[in-house]
Amino acid sequence: MKNCLRELRAERNWSQADLAEKLNVSRQTVNAIETGRYDPSLPLAFKLSRVFALPIESIFAD
Amino acid sequence: MLFNNLNLTTLQRRTMGMLSGVIFLTILTNVATPSLSIRLTNIFPGLAHLTNGEQTSPLIVGLLSLFAVIPVLMAVGVVGHYLKSEPDEFIRTLVVRALLWGFAVTMAGNAVAEVFMNIYLRPFPLSILNADIFFISTGIAFRLLQRSYQ
Repeated sequence: MKNCLRELRAERNWSQADLAEKLNVSRQTVNAIETGRYDPSLPLAFKLSRVFALPIESIFAD
Repeated sequence: MLFNNLNLTTLQRRTMGMLSGVIFLTILTNVATPSLSIRLTNIFPGLAHLTNGEQTSPLIVGLLSLFAVIPVLMAVGVVGHYLKSEPDEFIRTLVVRALLWGFAVTMAGNAVAEVFMNIYLRPFPLSILNADIFFISTGIAFRLLQRSYQ
């Protein structure tokens, strides 16, 4: 699954560690999602949606 | 503290501490198990004087074999509690993958040891170090998996 997490993070000048702190996960988790090596669960996808104030489908795409 | 430089959460640090205790208990059971000295004597006959040819009573052997189960059950409990409490789903995935690697390495080690035992017709100490190999290989696998996502 593709995602635009890196771009969204860059727009806000957040480091991976900043985003990880907001999501209450490790930096490795953010890295794994960004690089497409791990697809988050629905609860984590909702958390991302809340953090970026965007709908899930605009963060993730097939 | 021992784990301060690993950037661990309180839960992870506590789990690592408990697992260290489990590993220590595993080593203790290895040393306490009479079969270790018997197997070592088979490979290194020069160590025979250490065992003095003493026969252990079946009751003691039974109790020691039960004692060997304790660290394994403790490890299952500690890891189970950790997986239940860890809030980071990706780290939970990494732990499960590391456990699978630990299981695979232990099984592979046993398979190799079995071949050697069948060829040379003598016991091989590897087979009673299963828990140690499992813990060590799981730990190494976890660190390697974690590093691959740095």
